[in-house]
Amino acid sequence: MKRRDFLEAVGRYGAVAAGWSLSQLVAPSHHAALSSLLVPMDDSQSDHLKAYGLTYRVIKAGGKAEWLLNYRGGSFLLSDGEAIRRDAALNGVVVEAAGDAHVSAVRGEIAGTNADAVPLEKAPRVAVYVPPNAQPWDDAVTMALQYAGIPFDKLWDPEVLGNALHDYDWLHLHHEDFTGQYSKFFLIYTGQPWLNEMVSFNEAARRRLGLPSVPAMKKAVAREIRRYVANGGFLFAMCTATETIDLALAAHDVDIAASFADGTPMDPDADAKLDWSQTFAFTGAHLEHDPQIASFSDIDGHQVNAGPRRQPLGAFKLFNFSAKIDPVPTMLVQSHRDVIADFYGLTTSFMRERLKPGVTVLADEEGAPWVKYIHGDLEKGTWTFFGGHDPEDPQHQIGDPPTDLSLHPHSPGYRLILNNVLFPAAKKRELKT
Amino acid sequence: MRHVEPVRAAITAALLACVVFADPVSAQAIGQGFELERQGHVSQAASLYEGVLRAEPANLPALLGLERVLPALGRVSALVPLLERAMAVDSNAAIRALAVRTFTVLEQDDSAAAVVRRWAAAQPHDPGPWREWAIALADRQRFDAAREVLLEGRRTLGMPDALAIETSELAQRTGDWQTAAAEWGRALSGQAGRIAGAVGELEEAPADQHERVIRALTVGAAAIEARQVAAQLLLGWGDPVRAWETLTPTLDPPTPQTALALRSFAERAGGGGPEVRRVRGLALARLGDLLPGPLAARARAEAVRALLDAGDRVTARQVLTKLAGDPAAPPDAQILGETALVETLIDDGQLDSATSALSRLAAEPRAGGEERERLRHALVRAWIGTGRLDRAEAALGADSSVDGLALRGWVRLYRGDLRAALELFRAAGPYAGDRNATTARTSMLALLEQVDGERSPELGAALLALARGDSSAALAGLRHAADRLPGSRGRPDVLLLAGRIAAAQGGGQEQTAAALFAEVVRSGGQGAAAPAAELEWARLLRRQAKPAEASAHLEHLILTYPGSAVVPEARRELERVKGAIPKS
Repeated sequence: MKRRDFLEAVGRYGAVAAGWSLSQLVAPSHHAALSSLLVPMDDSQSDHLKAYGLTYRVIKAGGKAEWLLNYRGGSFLLSDGEAIRRDAALNGVVVEAAGDAHVSAVRGEIAGTNADAVPLEKAPRVAVYVPPNAQPWDDAVTMALQYAGIPFDKLWDPEVLGNALHDYDWLHLHHEDFTGQYSKFFLIYTGQPWLNEMVSFNEAARRRLGLPSVPAMKKAVAREIRRYVANGGFLFAMCTATETIDLALAAHDVDIAASFADGTPMDPDADAKLDWSQTFAFTGAHLEHDPQIASFSDIDGHQVNAGPRRQPLGAFKLFNFSAKIDPVPTMLVQSHRDVIADFYGLTTSFMRERLKPGVTVLADEEGAPWVKYIHGDLEKGTWTFFGGHDPEDPQHQIGDPPTDLSLHPHSPGYRLILNNVLFPAAKKRELKT
Repeated sequence: MRHVEPVRAAITAALLACVVFADPVSAQAIGQGFELERQGHVSQAASLYEGVLRAEPANLPALLGLERVLPALGRVSALVPLLERAMAVDSNAAIRALAVRTFTVLEQDDSAAAVVRRWAAAQPHDPGPWREWAIALADRQRFDAAREVLLEGRRTLGMPDALAIETSELAQRTGDWQTAAAEWGRALSGQAGRIAGAVGELEEAPADQHERVIRALTVGAAAIEARQVAAQLLLGWGDPVRAWETLTPTLDPPTPQTALALRSFAERAGGGGPEVRRVRGLALARLGDLLPGPLAARARAEAVRALLDAGDRVTARQVLTKLAGDPAAPPDAQILGETALVETLIDDGQLDSATSALSRLAAEPRAGGEERERLRHALVRAWIGTGRLDRAEAALGADSSVDGLALRGWVRLYRGDLRAALELFRAAGPYAGDRNATTARTSMLALLEQVDGERSPELGAALLALARGDSSAALAGLRHAADRLPGSRGRPDVLLLAGRIAAAQGGGQEQTAAALFAEVVRSGGQGAAAPAAELEWARLLRRQAKPAEASAHLEHLILTYPGSAVVPEARRELERVKGAIPKS
């Protein structure tokens, strides 16, 4: 549900099951004495990522689910049922039968520690913004959703500009370049088939939409996504999409694209003309003017493709929020690991000095001038930005083999992505953040 | 054009030299300018550089600093008067190059042309002016203009191969790989030292351009060096046979470059499949004909190894003959030759001759013990492959190594002596042989542990048929043996093995495999065979494009045998059936 809906949804529980198989999923268990199943998310869990899919399916089927924030790595408490046990067994998800006494003990422990129980109400309708030719393993979120078994639809520019976002609660953006410069690979990788295909897809979409250039089309898409969030949508962005959507929004009346993209050079005074009041997260950034350097601005701390400006990878640390006072950021940082190895993307991190006031930092690298994972509100909606491309492929160079998530079922980086998918399912409570 | 990087590196070096040797005051100011740039204070940096130039009009670091910062300030044109002053006092090539770049950025082509022509007139044999101008134009995506400049430079310099590498790189950048290859062809003539560079550049061509590149490098009167580049490219692009055919005509008459070309080719063929290994062997054999004394013997020994790895025993034998008749061959090459001879005889099935050759090698004190042991075990396996278990045991002799114990275990197993085989496999432990041998032995150990009784000649015979590659006889023999096993256990495990063999045979045997798996699942009880059979059954169904049935079996397996060791494999197989595992 969109945020505006869940703001109004206090007290509603138990959505209608979506179909017979889903209804089966929440049919009561023969284990009459056991009322619940605990899905531990600490080191005893054998597949952390699929645990999110299990929980999503229970919610979608109208079953009861609670997210036990900061309890055993952010565990889930599900209503018991044969079908849920079967789903867990098939997917290799560890579940523990929990009788009423056990559940009471858990609640007692939660009450006395920095933990909380958040009811999960309705499975969000998920959309992923990717070009139609993208392989499932081009995008970390697509991979995570597919691996966890969470259904999603793919949208691209024509659908976004055709008002399709209205049908979704949660939207993900990945390595799209909203400045319309093909990730600034145009000059570096001239002649490569994958680049030719990227250019031809974008040009075809631009012609279909009757827009003057690809940068103009991407700006229009960025504005539509902003409108979607302002109206209550949940936005989760990674990699280049984080930085470039803000640059595209700030540049609504400025040419920030090199001539290869739109036939005209970048406005030499573009920096001074950017309107940061329109952006989600960043302010006061300086653009990268060289069309041959695959970097967009000084928002990114790591500058992976900017030669001597490139910074080495370290590790980032998740913040420890107060679960009872700040449940939203607490949900977003649920993990069985506090410190996670960093990973590059075309945008890897966000310079602290470029963040707008009011942005919540969820994870940073100690002692470094950049942060990794941020969150904020925009009118009725929320957004979360996570730097980097693929948490289990730190270098992520063109031509690298795709990540096989079945070999990384405990990935803490991918858990952060899936936290974001379940976060819109949470029932609204008074939030301090 | 990638020449940008060397040029920039040269300018950086010049710049550093200037900083080191310049007036300390201006050097300090330049250092401050760098720092301001790093902090993003480009306007202040520009003021600082302009201040330095007022005192030293031709200060190169300051001029280059302005080249970096003025674009961000939208003031590139402010560089023009400063450059004119600088050129009036210093005709340094770096300043002229900067002027060319600046005029090109400002699209003042006439001014850029004037600088280039003055520069070229002053240094008529230097391709630098034309190169700088072309790079500047290419950096502005004006590829056609850059090409015109390179061609004008070539005409002016009066050399048909002048600026060929730059023209090639420009063509490459615009995706015109055929022209890029043709220009490399010009640049390579008589320039063997450029071969590696040409290979490095052209091997990046996309697959649909490979044929054009090769044609451009081998057309008509192409230079020997260009053909050798084509050969190396073909090798890298997975066509070793054509690569060797392209290289061969360049080898006669031999020149000093010929040996280098053969060595490079052989090194490039260092890995890969049998065809790659074969052409490596052929190149090393030719190299052996060109090199003197001990070097020739070493090359031939390497050639024999590569040819044997590739399965080309005929050519290997020819090279071995040369090696054996070479009195100058060093002892290690001779031993390598003898070793290769034993391998060749084993591979040819001449096991009596191999036995004799191995005996000779055993008497050679310089031959390594490990190598002799390796050959002895290969001979034992070969005797087993012929079914001559008595000869296999004789070849083993009193061998008490772990590999020897493992091999003796197989011989006993094939004789039907299950208990002895079990004990020998246990004694051999988990480290004998390579990974495949270890896996095969461990699997067999697991099967034998399920069977009661000490002897089963039927099972031994069936397994020997399997070892000899007679799958049909093995399949029939295993089904027969399963019904006659001593004791009450082991039948499902033997039928599971039979099912796996049938499934591997494919075709009409898949139905037999499915029936065998079904029987094991039905009758296997709580043992390990039943879930393993269900997993194999699901895999068979997936290969038969029946994903729904495969999923049903995998789900049944996971839910019915949650403690089975194959459950993680079953879950991964389930992912594969769903298409969730990427194809890498």
